[in-house]
Amino acid sequence: MAFLVLVPLLPLLTAFIVMTGHRADQDQNARAGLFPIVAAFVGALVTLVLVPSEGAITVQLYDPAAIANLAFPIGFYIDRLSAVMMVLISGVTALIYRYSMGYMYQDRGYRRYLGVLGITTSVLLCMVCSANLMMLFMFWQILPWLLFLLAHNHAHGATLAGASNTFTLLRLSDVAFLAGIVLAYSLYGTFEFQTLFTRAAEIPVTLALWPALGWEMDGVTAVTLLIFVGAMGKSAQFPVHTWLPRSLYAPTPVHALLHAGIINAGGFLLNRLAPLYGLSPATLHVVFIIGMLTAILGATMMLTQNDIKKTLGFSTIGQMGYMIMECGLGAFSLAVFHLIAHGLFKGTVFLNCGNVIHKARQEPSFPHAGHDVEESSFSGLTWSTGFVTTLLLPLVILLVTHGILRIPLLESQGTVIFLFFIWVTSSQAILSLTRIRAVASWKVSAAMLLTLVLVLFTYLFAVESFTHFLYPNPDEVAAYFRAAALPGRLFDSLVVGTTLLTVLSWFYLYAHAHGRTVRVPGWFEAFLARLYVLFMNRLYLDQLYAKCGRVMTLVAQRVEKRLS
Amino acid sequence: MIQAWMTPWLLLAIPALGSALSLFLWSSLHRMKTWALMTTVASLIAVIGLSWTLAEPLAEIPLLCLLPIAAFLSLLGQPRHPDNRLAWVITLMLLGLGLGVLTSQEPTRSFMLVILLVLLCGLLARSLHVALPETWRGLASYGLGIASTLLTLVLPPPASTVAGLVTCATLLPLLPLHGGFVAALTQLPGNLPAFAVVLLPVVGFHSLLRLLPTLTPTMFHTLAILALVGACYGSLRAWIQSRPLSRLAYAGLAFLCLLWWYIADTGTASVHTTVYLSAVVLSSNGLLLAWYAIRARYGDIDVRSLGGMAYPMPRFSTLLALLALAALGMPPFGVYTGLVGMLLSPEFAPSGPFFLIMVIWLMASWYFMELVQWLVFGRQRADLRYEDLHHAEFASLLIVLVLLLALGTAPSRLFQSSVTTPPASVAMKGGAWIP
Repeated sequence: MAFLVLVPLLPLLTAFIVMTGHRADQDQNARAGLFPIVAAFVGALVTLVLVPSEGAITVQLYDPAAIANLAFPIGFYIDRLSAVMMVLISGVTALIYRYSMGYMYQDRGYRRYLGVLGITTSVLLCMVCSANLMMLFMFWQILPWLLFLLAHNHAHGATLAGASNTFTLLRLSDVAFLAGIVLAYSLYGTFEFQTLFTRAAEIPVTLALWPALGWEMDGVTAVTLLIFVGAMGKSAQFPVHTWLPRSLYAPTPVHALLHAGIINAGGFLLNRLAPLYGLSPATLHVVFIIGMLTAILGATMMLTQNDIKKTLGFSTIGQMGYMIMECGLGAFSLAVFHLIAHGLFKGTVFLNCGNVIHKARQEPSFPHAGHDVEESSFSGLTWSTGFVTTLLLPLVILLVTHGILRIPLLESQGTVIFLFFIWVTSSQAILSLTRIRAVASWKVSAAMLLTLVLVLFTYLFAVESFTHFLYPNPDEVAAYFRAAALPGRLFDSLVVGTTLLTVLSWFYLYAHAHGRTVRVPGWFEAFLARLYVLFMNRLYLDQLYAKCGRVMTLVAQRVEKRLS
Repeated sequence: MIQAWMTPWLLLAIPALGSALSLFLWSSLHRMKTWALMTTVASLIAVIGLSWTLAEPLAEIPLLCLLPIAAFLSLLGQPRHPDNRLAWVITLMLLGLGLGVLTSQEPTRSFMLVILLVLLCGLLARSLHVALPETWRGLASYGLGIASTLLTLVLPPPASTVAGLVTCATLLPLLPLHGGFVAALTQLPGNLPAFAVVLLPVVGFHSLLRLLPTLTPTMFHTLAILALVGACYGSLRAWIQSRPLSRLAYAGLAFLCLLWWYIADTGTASVHTTVYLSAVVLSSNGLLLAWYAIRARYGDIDVRSLGGMAYPMPRFSTLLALLALAALGMPPFGVYTGLVGMLLSPEFAPSGPFFLIMVIWLMASWYFMELVQWLVFGRQRADLRYEDLHHAEFASLLIVLVLLLALGTAPSRLFQSSVTTPPASVAMKGGAWIP
């Protein structure tokens, strides 16, 4: 089984094949370079099959007792989480590589691009297979530089500025990550994941932040918070999300890789360190808040963008917020499920959006301007089906869960979270169907019911099975939910508030889509307009950061002038 | 049989003889450069061959080897131009003095150190016609270094310790005595800055190691504060410099102040400090060599007006980018390994200033990357003739990179010959954590 640790190194072979050899043979080399990546994918699949039955693969090429004396603590730890991530990364990369062979053909930096793609894949695979925190961090911080290179068209000013911005912001979070690692090592004396988790659980440490004022912090909380800042950067969480929309000048396949692979690093990191995060409810609450903020702001900004790539970029930010929020709620496996689903979806969308843009440029009439006027008549059947599927059926499920299955919902936030996600997701899907013309109301009704069944099935069976696969011990899952449990009233308020918001949105959007006027106060309209401008300009965060940079430069220049 | 006392003189004699003989080849640039290179190689062989005779562990073999290697590298990529001849001769003289200082005992050591500083003052004085404030500050700093070195010979402790620290601070730059280091990097002629950036901190570090057991807690605290302020100051100034030499000088100040801070904070100089120091000075050396390649082509140009070298100068661009990555502390290069190794050593416990150190480390990402962006990326200029590295330039940069990689990946036990000074009588972290 130890031979499987070679899988992460196979894409390096791709880089070697593509970047060496004569330029005249570059097409042939590019085709040959595909094989190692496909082999890595096959190897990852084999790993996924073998790891659950044979157990985690551990290969340590260092002495764990003397890890601090080693510059390169290289080792591999491939468990179920690593295997899942390996399949996702290698599979997506194989597709992206094949796509890029055509997309980047005739580009001056064709070989460099494909080579860097191979190296990035290898770095990602090594990262998810890391045996210890230090090795994970080593590969983690190489990624910003690789992203910088993958921006590709560095002669273009905006691309270069975006790549530079990406590098800078990701380094910012990397610094916090390193601080977390150093703190963890000084407190617990190890980088080994399992040892770290055990020691953190057994040795309670209090950190004196400001002894004079009596400010203290739990050691695990400090470590996890710092590492979470690292995850925030990679997963584009508010307020360090600005690098993602600004990197959209990179080639389209790079976006597919970014949105389907690299950006999931934050979610992976939180899952890898889930036992550590499970020890710190305070950090989980912070994770929840940051995730929620990012989900709301990302989704809102997405709605106000007028550029297809930016729209998709903010959509990813919103989804990443959603994923981080799931981690903050203790639903770690749900986050991994989410990141896989989102990765596959967004990868497909990005690979296709290049074609759409290309076609739109070729055909002036695309997208077609001559839409039929939407039917504005009110359809009772559609409305009733929507009402039933969105509001009544979930209520029935809730009662069945509570009454027949005897799951104490009031004491189990985890179950409520799962049910709530089912409902929010299905209602979101159903809402989009209200835009369909009312004349085909029976079809719409059927689609609504099917959507609900599909989402329900996916959540209840697929997610549950996946959770069981990733975390076979149900007590562990329950412990995470307990650790992430919010104060009762806050949790209830959040559930009730979000429910009300969703229901109201449902009514408002349905009515709006069918030509009904919804009376709102004038001041609210004006407020909405201002809000629209604010979000369209992405909360002016880019400008704010640029201003901060300018102020710092000015201060430094004044200091220099005075000293000179 | 070679006696221990003979070693410093032998190590001094080889480069000194080489520099003297090179004067006979003054008219032939090619021969003179080859001779200078051969002398540095002979010095390296002598260092390795005589290492067994060294009496005390303070004479660190890795640091000793670093000096002839740095001299070799700084000479290798240099264009054969009459203006560079003096710099080649001085390089050899400085190499001999540096090796002598690292291996000799008092008072010979102080004597050699004074000669080294006088030589640097003389070189700076030659550039006084430019009349830059940096030159004056450099002269003042080295003047103070000479005076303090002489005072260490006559004053009793602890005054001699303070005087010794002043000497260290002029060599291994520490605010407010960093003027000499900055002047050496920005004002010295030819290849000398590339050698000085290695020589001065190594000699300073070596002097500091000798003083370490005698330092008091008050001195450690003072040094830690000065180092922190110096690191912030160096980072800020490096950030706003547009001239590469100034930027590299202040970046060097920031990174070497981190070393000062670490030593002052922990009271020890673990094996990782040697790795860190070697990597920082080598990466600065590499970046200076890269700048020389640009200077040889375009003169002392504003680098912001250049750009787009990625395609027409691929070898230069790749090596420069990798060197910048090494300098800003990315794995798998030595700066990263040294810094992380220092932070993870048992003597170190994170405290408030640690987060400031992290910010300083982060700032390096900005100013080094900006330098790379100015040169490598952006739009190509039609009015510029791009010419990639020559073999000698390429070899010098490649060797630096390989050395940085070796420093980053080699197990730290390879550097165990370095002294690990026993902790001084300080309790730096009392009450920081409450278990």
